Order: sequence, then structure tokens, then C-alpha cells
Amino acid sequence: MKIKNLLPGIGAWLEERFGFRGLSRFLNEKRVPQHRHTIWYYTGSSILLFFFIQVVTGIMLAFYYKPTIEEANKSIARIMAEVPLGWIIRSVHFWSSSFMIALVLFHMTSIWIIKSYRKPRELTWMSGVFLLILTLFFGFTGYLLPWDDLSLAATKVGTDIPRSIPWVGAWVTKLLRGGEDVTGDTLTRFFGIHITVLPLCLLFILVIHIYLIQKLGMSLPLGLDKKKEEVKELPFWPNFVYREMVVWLVLSGILFSLAIFLPPSLGKEADLMAPAPEGIKPEWYFLFLFQTLKVFPSRILLVTGDTLAVSLLLLAGILFFFLPLIDYRPEERKGKVITFIAYFFIIYAVVMTVWSLVQ
Amino acid sequence: MKLEHSLFTRRQFLNSLFGGWLGVLLASLLYPVIKFVFPPYREPDKVILPFSEFKDVEPGSVKNFAWGTKPALLKKNGDGSYLAFVAVCTHLDCTVTYLPEQRKFFCACHDGWYDEQGRNIKGPPPRPLRQLVVAVEGENLIIKREGVE
Repeated sequence: MKIKNLLPGIGAWLEERFGFRGLSRFLNEKRVPQHRHTIWYYTGSSILLFFFIQVVTGIMLAFYYKPTIEEANKSIARIMAEVPLGWIIRSVHFWSSSFMIALVLFHMTSIWIIKSYRKPRELTWMSGVFLLILTLFFGFTGYLLPWDDLSLAATKVGTDIPRSIPWVGAWVTKLLRGGEDVTGDTLTRFFGIHITVLPLCLLFILVIHIYLIQKLGMSLPLGLDKKKEEVKELPFWPNFVYREMVVWLVLSGILFSLAIFLPPSLGKEADLMAPAPEGIKPEWYFLFLFQTLKVFPSRILLVTGDTLAVSLLLLAGILFFFLPLIDYRPEERKGKVITFIAYFFIIYAVVMTVWSLVQ
Repeated sequence: MKLEHSLFTRRQFLNSLFGGWLGVLLASLLYPVIKFVFPPYREPDKVILPFSEFKDVEPGSVKNFAWGTKPALLKKNGDGSYLAFVAVCTHLDCTVTYLPEQRKFFCACHDGWYDEQGRNIKGPPPRPLRQLVVAVEGENLIIKREGVE
């Protein structure tokens, strides 16, 4: 065989065994509709970008991090001070998590308002809700790992919240904490969940989510789906992918700038017996919840305030998950009310967050 | 195939038999997993502390000690008697602190307040702080759960 035939030869040999042709044909034929809401299509792939960055930087941090009560805080201090470029890696991991969560929230609210979850995309939405929960859980478990006084207090509160759920609550709290109270076992457990359980679950659901999106095609906003023929389309490969790459480049530029100029600090080592520090605040994406718990009175009618708040939250979560089945006629009045609720939630979350920040 | 007076076919019978076995097998595999992830916990009936370490606490101030895995506070009253509290906020489990100048217990997490007897007076806490029974016996300070001999 001549050298110049070698590469196509290898290609044909692999094709005979793997049979990738169907996939490449699919990618060649995939089209992305162009309309005034196309910008929201970019949020999904940008989430993937930040997830990828989290995986890479997370593996790197795990090389030096030690998930025990004696070593956790010191090992992070060492990553920040001694490990070559360690502070940048931690800073990128820190900022990228916020970017990922922000984009997940954008992604979901845009789908809520454009109503892309309607038939036949109910399961895409529901798998997305699971991904949202996993992402928030990533943030929650990761927050404890530096083991400083703020993260300890936040974890005590966060793991105590499920306790108010009837019947199963106390068990959930125990399961999360690895015991009755937050201790060194909680730290080790959170580390295990953060680096093994959550990534495996997330990847599994992500595959389903992405498969459904490819299988069902891109959704069109309400109204446009009626005049499908008039909508302009863009080939996914290479036109749309190149556009996505521009978005990725800009976002990573912002990410790396923030990571370099505003690296996260490390508080003093957590002391299990010390009182909660003053002015504690969770990460920004839990602030609205934090503020809600703070302003709920201690007793409303016959139940305690936190029980009521948690029950309402749980109910909202269940309704949110079943949204596509509730809003099955999005053009009609019910659909408009549900859109209104979306805006109400956004305003509520923003007001609570700002209130919590100015206090 | 179904016998004349039988309620189900041979296939149904075998499927439920195998399905049942499979269910029992899964449950017996799940049981140790669930047992494993919940470690045992027993709250102490009492803790014994050397009295010498707590003798010099100023009246109207507190000193902390460990109640099992929970933080706790020993408070010396103006008249020299002692009160002991589990220093865990009844709202969402943060550790409270005592502010001597205001004579109140304070939880910084969600702005919860208790008076010097541990009663919830302001903010989200739904219940008073849990109180423990203090006794001085010779060289030892014995702190017991309520209702323990």
C-alpha cells in the first residue's frame, strides 16, 4: 500500500468496524432555525463548556486536595500558595461553577418563557430539571470542601433544611451528614459525592438529555412553529458550531479574566464548636432561598416557619418538574398565566437576592 | 399453556416466580447498602468535665464544651448557679453564641435571638434552646440529658 493511501485506508478500516457514517450524515443534515430567539440555543452548549472546565480543573484539584477534617483547609491553602499555578486552577474552578449555574438558570428560564417544553419535549424538560438539581448539588457539596467557617455554617443550614420534609426528612439529613451532626464524616462524604456520585449521575442524564434534543430537533418558539416553512435555517455543521465557538471564546475570556483578577479567598479553618460567624451568606444562587428562610416568621398557624417554607419549596419543585404536563395548551389563557408566573419568580428571586446583599 | 381450571398460564406463573426472586434478591442487596450509609449515633446521657476548668467563669458569661458531636454552652448566672444549653439553634442548626452585654443568645445565620434563659424571643427560631441539667459533684461537673438519672 502506498503512503498516500494510508489515511483513507485506515479510515475505511475503522468505518467498517464502527460504522460512524450514520452519525456524520446526521451532523451534516442537522439544521438550526434562525429567528429572534436563536440566542437561547447557545446557552446549552455553553453549559457544556463550563462543565468540561469543571471536570478538568476538578481532577487537577483532586491531585492535591485532602478531604479530612485535619487536612482539608490546609491542603487548599497549599494549593493557593505553594502548588505552581494552583491558585489559578482553584479560581477557575470557583468561577466556572458560578458561570455554569448562571447559564443553567438562563437556559431553563428561557425555555420556560419560550415554552420549548411542550409536546413532544416533556422528557427533555424533566431530564433538564434533574440536571438543574444535580448542578445545584454540585455547588452545595463543593462549597463545604474548603472547610472554612463560612462553608461549615452554610452546610449546617443546608443539610438541616430537608429535616422539615414530612416522614423522610430526618433520614435525608442523616444521609447527607453521615450522622446526626455535621462532622468530619460529612466533609469526606461530600467529597465522595462531589467527585463520584454527582458526575456519574450528571453524565448519565446528560446523555439522555442530549439524545432527546438530537432526536426531536430544535424547538421553535410558540407561534413560529405554525409557519415552519418560512423559518430560515442554518446548517449545524459548520456554520452554527463556528458561531458557538465564538461564544465559547468570549465566555472563557471573561471567565479567565475574573479568575485571575478576583480569586476566591479562603476563610479560617472551620471549628465544629465555634459559633456561626456573623454576616454569613451562601453562594449567590442560594441567596433568594437564604433570605426567604430569614424573613419567614418562626410560627405560622400551627407549623414552624421553616417547615412551611420547605414544604412550599418542595411543592414548587414538583410543579416545576411536571410543568410540561400542566401547561399542555400553551397558547391559551392557562399558558399565559404560567408565563406570568415565570416572570414573577424571576422578579422574586432578584428582589430577595438584592435584599440579602444590601443587608 | 393454561390448564383447564387454572387461574393463570404457566408463563405467568414462572414470570411472577422469577420476578419475585429478583425483587427479593435486589432488596437483600439494597439492605446492606442502606445500613452502611447511616452510621450509628447515640447521644450521650451525660458528660463529665473537670470542674476546675469552669470554676473561674465570670458570672454572666459562658464557656463552651462538647455535648457529643454538638457544641454546648455552660452559663454562670449572677447568683453563681449554672445553666447548660446545647448551643444549636432550633431554626436551622447553626451554632449560637452568647452576648454578655445584651444578655442574649444570638444565632448569626438567620438573625435568631434567645433570652438568657434560652427562650426564643426574636427572629425565626421556633423553640427555646435545649437545656441540659448541671450538677457539681466534688471535682467534677456533671452535665446530663433531661430525665436521665
